[in-house]
Amino acid sequence: MTPLVYVLEDQVQELLAHTRADEWIEGPAYAFDDWTVFHAYTEKPPFAPAGSLCRCLYTRADAAGLVDEEHLPHSLDITREPDGQPVLVLVVSRTPDGLPACQALLVTASGTTAAAAQFVPRRSELYSRNAGLLEVSALGHKRVVIVGLGSGGSPVALELARAGVGHFTLIDFDRLELGNISRHVCGVNDLGRYKTLAVRDQVLQKNPYADVTTMELNVNQALSQVEDAIGASDLLIVASDNDQSRFNLNQMSLNTNRVALYGRAITRAAGGEVLRVRPWQGPCYNCVFSAGVGQGREEEMSQKRQALSVLPAYVEEEKVNAMIQVGLSSDIMPIANMMVKLALVELSRGMETGISSVDEDLVSDFYIWANRREEAYANWPAMGYKWTHPSILRWYGARVGRDPNCMVCRTPLAAHLET
Amino acid sequence: MAWTSQQSARLRLEMEILSRYFPSFVLKDSIIPGRAVVEGAMRSNAGHEYVVRLRVPADLPNSVPIVEIVSPVLRDRFGHPLVDLGTSYPMHLLKPENDVVRICHYSASHWSPNITFSKVLLKVRAWIEAYEGHLDSGFSVDHYLPHMEA
Repeated sequence: MTPLVYVLEDQVQELLAHTRADEWIEGPAYAFDDWTVFHAYTEKPPFAPAGSLCRCLYTRADAAGLVDEEHLPHSLDITREPDGQPVLVLVVSRTPDGLPACQALLVTASGTTAAAAQFVPRRSELYSRNAGLLEVSALGHKRVVIVGLGSGGSPVALELARAGVGHFTLIDFDRLELGNISRHVCGVNDLGRYKTLAVRDQVLQKNPYADVTTMELNVNQALSQVEDAIGASDLLIVASDNDQSRFNLNQMSLNTNRVALYGRAITRAAGGEVLRVRPWQGPCYNCVFSAGVGQGREEEMSQKRQALSVLPAYVEEEKVNAMIQVGLSSDIMPIANMMVKLALVELSRGMETGISSVDEDLVSDFYIWANRREEAYANWPAMGYKWTHPSILRWYGARVGRDPNCMVCRTPLAAHLET
Repeated sequence: MAWTSQQSARLRLEMEILSRYFPSFVLKDSIIPGRAVVEGAMRSNAGHEYVVRLRVPADLPNSVPIVEIVSPVLRDRFGHPLVDLGTSYPMHLLKPENDVVRICHYSASHWSPNITFSKVLLKVRAWIEAYEGHLDSGFSVDHYLPHMEA
């Protein structure tokens, strides 16, 4: 197989614009699959790279588009490479049409072999296959804040990156533990890392041009910092695992007038729900979960820290451990997927896109999903062939309105004083 | 950091409600979020007076306020200081932070911003009656006050 080299087109364009013809630039490259596949960069990538580090040199071809291959091993002092590892040489130039071109060479002490160079396309082309369904260029300018980068928030971040959303603020103070791996987009090579930073790397793998800011903090202890981030965004996505943070974020979404999406699973992920809060127009989080249809639907407890934060301190450890009942990743994904759909509808609002009709369908602000006939859905009939009965594995939009007695979004609050 | 306008309005509302139902309670150190307390006296049916302090959370009204009995020094039926129990399921107590008894009233899983200080103090008032019941009978507080389901 001819060795294959991937290089970012934008970096090559940059290099062509700012280097002289006789200049050598060194950048990192990473080798995979027994030194047959290479990912080359002109500078260290912003995400944690994989593969074996490999020396990589860039130069511009001369005016005739030529490079002296015969003398490359000598001129690059190739004998100093450990274990005879090759040096990757990328000779960049422009075609007569002005397009960037790249010739790849693998240089060892014994000689030079040609490799096939392929460009990772420019920002504008990366999401060309989404065009028509989504307003890709507009989504590239949209900013989302995602709070909670666990099994629910991490796939949402990744899907929005795949759709071409360009700016992310990821907020979580938790680190990736062994118990998270089976339901998380990140794997064992990210163990111990902040979830924010590990997910940032995943996002950048999908969209190397994304602008990702991370905040490793507890939203309940950094209220003004988080509210500032939300105020600078277009959409708030909440996938945190406790009501205190959701109540705080609800207030921030109202204060900043930003639409917020809340997703959560119920016990053992037997099902879940997604709430959209359109500030001052629809119900807020408190309207639904303090007194409304969401009240009493017990949240899934996926880790001890989460259980301890909501239980009184005198609850026995045995009971705390018994409350930790998690569902499968495949039970969480439908909830994350619904959040993504709603997010894309909200981020595309005002634009004529292929998903505009979805907005006509998603008229409800509160959606319920059942994975299995247990917990809150124990009395539901079996799915069978009927379309007219509630069933597992279908979304149901619930008609919910603002709670006239809500102590959070009823305005003016002082009206309470009159009663 | 200062109170937001919503929090200031909520504090005014809380104090307005308290002025009707618990008129002895006043707001102290209200300028700095996280340091404000609401403090006042409650009298039991038997006529004993208890000074109760409610710590206003910095993220009012989104988290459970800490409630403490500041005075008198509470003792169990056998004369042992209640504060020495630390966290106590039968007595509805949480780990004390200031050498005074801290009451467990709402758990985080039952908390919502719709719950006012007045409702919290109502539960404290019930706890005081249960505590005096304990002094009379020896039964623990949870004999009189069942726990909320976790």
